[in-house]
Amino acid sequence: MGGTFVITLREGFEAALIMGIVYTYLQKIGAERHYRYATRGGLLGVLGSVALGALVTTLSGPLLDLGPDVIGLAVILVAVTVLTWHGYWMQQHARAVKGDVQHRIDEAQASHRLWTIGVLAFTGVFREGAETVLFLWGLLTQATSPSGWASATGAVLGLATAATLGWAIFRGGRHMSLQRFFAVTSVFLLLLAAGMFSTGVGRLEAMGVLPQSSMAWDTSRALDDHGVVGGFLNGLVGYRARPSRLEAGSYLFYLIVSGALLFRSGPPKPRARAPRGQIPAHAA
Amino acid sequence: MGKSFNRLIAGVVVALVSVIGAASAADAPPEIPLTVDKNQFQPTEVKVKANTPFVLVITNKSAKAAEFESKDLRVEKVVPAGKTVNVRIRALKPGTYSFLDDFNQQATGRIVAE
Repeated sequence: MGGTFVITLREGFEAALIMGIVYTYLQKIGAERHYRYATRGGLLGVLGSVALGALVTTLSGPLLDLGPDVIGLAVILVAVTVLTWHGYWMQQHARAVKGDVQHRIDEAQASHRLWTIGVLAFTGVFREGAETVLFLWGLLTQATSPSGWASATGAVLGLATAATLGWAIFRGGRHMSLQRFFAVTSVFLLLLAAGMFSTGVGRLEAMGVLPQSSMAWDTSRALDDHGVVGGFLNGLVGYRARPSRLEAGSYLFYLIVSGALLFRSGPPKPRARAPRGQIPAHAA
Repeated sequence: MGKSFNRLIAGVVVALVSVIGAASAADAPPEIPLTVDKNQFQPTEVKVKANTPFVLVITNKSAKAAEFESKDLRVEKVVPAGKTVNVRIRALKPGTYSFLDDFNQQATGRIVAE
């Protein structure tokens, strides 16, 4: 029971985090009436997961060999893109926050198309969704014996716990200031996206699309990424115990490039933005 | 002009065919069977030749889905109940690469490339 609990908790954790964040985000910008974007995205993610889970069991041959990989890569690509854009936007907005609340909200809704929230919710749920569906399905077919029941119960409890964590984020996030919430989540989403990006690159490396590189480090004895703590860190910030150089490099590359995008291109703080070496107009 | 052009085309076609032929010949790496049954991998230690690509042919004989996962190999592959999945693995440097069934983590094993 404990084993299945940990598995579904881990699989559902990322989805719960993202759902918690997108709902809090909508609440923060005063778009409670647009919760449906997040809800629909999440529901579509669940439906897509069930559909893919069902489809995978009917496939065979090369379609089964490659199909899920291609879909998995596509989802990673979309998720990284949406996360980057959203993180960038949040950071911009956190800096721009000033003036009265209503103005801030209108600006937020006008400048950020809310459907991206739906896409974020969808990819957050769908990414590990089909796997979770297959896992649960397997458990339920074996839920005829007492131990089978215990396993299935553990798995359902794991998902419920993940959902509770998402809810806790939503409850907690509501009391944070808008600026702080945006700042914290944009850093978090940046790390999450860096982890996904590096995973995607690793898959391409394993598939032979990218050249193979040697192992960058081995910390599997200190903190195994299959373990509970390492596994969660893996989902959260993309921790890897034995990454290839290409994976570690792409993680860093993503962090540096989008970190620069995120933290350097905000709207001007007048003093910081005065170009160096240029004489201010009033002094000339 | 027409003749040399035709020759050129023929040459290109021959070259392409031979490249594809060579590629598909090289694309037939050895198949290494691996079975999931009764919450266990069989065998738990897979020996392969180092520096040679191979195909892991994973058959799931149990009644529930398994997920072959190896962070070392960067592979995560769901194998539905009763199905067989081919996983192409790139040439490995000599060493040990662990894997497990992510859906049932007491099922573990390792690939030894030597």
